[in-house]
Amino acid sequence: MPEPRMIVIAGKAAQMVLAAPPEGLRFVITATDRSDFALHDCFDQPLRRSGRVLLRIGYCLDLLSDDPGSVRQKVNRKLGLPAELPAGPVRDALTDLSSLRALMAHCAGQSETLLVAVLDDMEKTCLRMQIVTLVAGTGTATLVLTQPMRGYRKVHDRVIETLLGFEGATKGIMGLWPLLLPEVEPYQSKPEVPITPEEPASLVATDLIRSALSVARQNEAGIIDDIDTEFLHDYRVCLRRIRSVLSLFRDVFAPETTAELKDAFSALMEPTGRVRDLDVYLLGKPVFFDRVPVSLHPGLELLFARMQTERDLAQRKLVKHLRGANYAARIAALETRLNAADGLPPGSQGDQQALDYACVLIWARYHKVCKLARRIDDATPDEDVHRLRIHCKKLRYLMEFFGPLFLAKKFRKILKPLKVLQDNLGLFNDCSVQQEELGEYLEQRNGTPVDVELAAAVGALLATLSRLQAAERARIVTSFQAFDSSRIRSIFEDLFHQPAEGRQ
Amino acid sequence: MQVIACYSNKGGVGKTATSVNLAHAIARSGRQVLLCDLDPQGASTYYFRVKPSKKLSETKFFEDVDRFADAIRASDFEGLDILPANRSFRDFDRFLSRIRNKRSRLTRALAAGGAEYDVVVLDCPPNFSLLSENVFRAADRIVVPVPPSTLSERTFEQLVAFFKDQRLPRQKISAFFSMVERRKTLHRETMERMRATHPKRFLEAAIPYSADVERMGLRRAPVAEFAPRSAAASAYAALYRELGL
Repeated sequence: MPEPRMIVIAGKAAQMVLAAPPEGLRFVITATDRSDFALHDCFDQPLRRSGRVLLRIGYCLDLLSDDPGSVRQKVNRKLGLPAELPAGPVRDALTDLSSLRALMAHCAGQSETLLVAVLDDMEKTCLRMQIVTLVAGTGTATLVLTQPMRGYRKVHDRVIETLLGFEGATKGIMGLWPLLLPEVEPYQSKPEVPITPEEPASLVATDLIRSALSVARQNEAGIIDDIDTEFLHDYRVCLRRIRSVLSLFRDVFAPETTAELKDAFSALMEPTGRVRDLDVYLLGKPVFFDRVPVSLHPGLELLFARMQTERDLAQRKLVKHLRGANYAARIAALETRLNAADGLPPGSQGDQQALDYACVLIWARYHKVCKLARRIDDATPDEDVHRLRIHCKKLRYLMEFFGPLFLAKKFRKILKPLKVLQDNLGLFNDCSVQQEELGEYLEQRNGTPVDVELAAAVGALLATLSRLQAAERARIVTSFQAFDSSRIRSIFEDLFHQPAEGRQ
Repeated sequence: MQVIACYSNKGGVGKTATSVNLAHAIARSGRQVLLCDLDPQGASTYYFRVKPSKKLSETKFFEDVDRFADAIRASDFEGLDILPANRSFRDFDRFLSRIRNKRSRLTRALAAGGAEYDVVVLDCPPNFSLLSENVFRAADRIVVPVPPSTLSERTFEQLVAFFKDQRLPRQKISAFFSMVERRKTLHRETMERMRATHPKRFLEAAIPYSADVERMGLRRAPVAEFAPRSAAASAYAALYRELGL
């Protein structure tokens, strides 16, 4: 076990620590500093999950972990994306984080840091400590960091023993999280919704919708504060999942209920589209620049500047929508319906048992995918390829929804080639959609003629996208063949097309 | 890694004060320093408030790599560690040869303790012995404090003669005047004469006779820590600069 060098004590414990040095030792405060502090992590808390704490005190950023390798650097108070940090050892240590997720403050407050020298009877410093009291709105904790000195290990061990004797003291840095953020569990974008095989399909559908709506709502604040692009992305994924449940779980709810819910969730989705589309372009900016000759870059700059302006406008509109009374009322109404004691009014299939229902749906969808894909060749119209993409997506959703009912190992085996096929189809679709969207920038707006440089750059992009689309299209047959192997076919058959007693 | 020996064959010349202040100045420049207190009286150990360890009186001490690494103590100053006084140096020459070898177990044991030393400063006992001879051979520089008195002049001549007899490289010797009282004619004349006799051996820097240096025993810290603007602190800083360590 690594030597404990960080101890966390509940509440304000500095005075208690200072008053109780081990026998023969003296604690002397050599410096005091008061500053604001914030505990940072991405929204989904990858640092917390990997046993790390990113603590900013004033302009000092410490990445702390119980393994050796705690590092520090200077920063501004607002952090942003990991790559946007000033060059330094903390930035270097955060390269494992997603480049899309910002380092946001999960809690903030005031800190007091005491530098303490531990002296022996010769007045020799045998150990240095930092006692950091962190007071946030959500919780209070005292962090003691010890810096052992060569040749004074015993003193270190004695001090650690004393510190661990205090009530509410724990070894290691991770004790900080529950004290500063009690009852806050790390965010999960796709929490598993437990399902039992005999559960009525209408309950499964309600649980899935309720869970996805709850995840969507957790992203609202991040979208409003515009912390990073992934809040909106996750929000939209949740709404899309809900709409898929409503369309794929056919007849589990009364037809008018399904229709109302579909309308309600489509209405929630609608105001989010433009910002996300523009986010995708802006995130992919370097890729677009790579796709056209350098001589056309000034035109692309114009295009992206315009997109950025449009994005800012769309974002403001979206924030207004999310903050509006209308949105709150609609969400509240949906939550009331979903949480009603007697559930949503069931349809003709509402009482079907989950496992049987899942098998029927997945098997049917799998068949549709195969039927359509096997017909695809160079002459097939693009519309059919788009239809295949949508069927694959639906199949994937069904498999994800009902995943907990099946053996994870077998599931992974069939999901892998399905994902490859979906990626392929996704890129094909992106190229097609982007050509259409970018084409709009070649049209006059409010009577203003199109900038020549911009038009040239967009023209070059369209040509590249068309080539890329053709290349993706050419790969589809191969991707499907990998998915359509006899092994995958037999797994599908085993899982979803067996009499109830034969399923594994 | 450099090995710097502070040596004088006469006691009470400010040798330990030199070791302590020099080691402190090198550490302040950002390098890792190990100060070995080879003087059985343990004065530099005392100056850094370090307790002499019982383990250190064992005869085969320097043969035992782990024990050696365990005996090292961090001082209160960043980058400066102390090997406390030891009564037995029978194997010190072996230590000196090993510490220079990057792949030796000793060097690795030291590094494992968290410090790879850039400079080792040896505070040597005031006599001619097998130890001092080994130190002369192993050290890159031999820093010799010389008070400008008749007796010190004589002992310095003995040291130079010893180097000559033993065919030791005399250019390693970097002598400087210590405990200088410029108002004393005798001091000024002695300094002038000795500089003329040994033009290549003496540095420009000179440490004045100073109450601040004497107070090091009371304050138990390098002079730059408690009297940073004193004449003594400036003189030690000048000595450090001139040595070009």
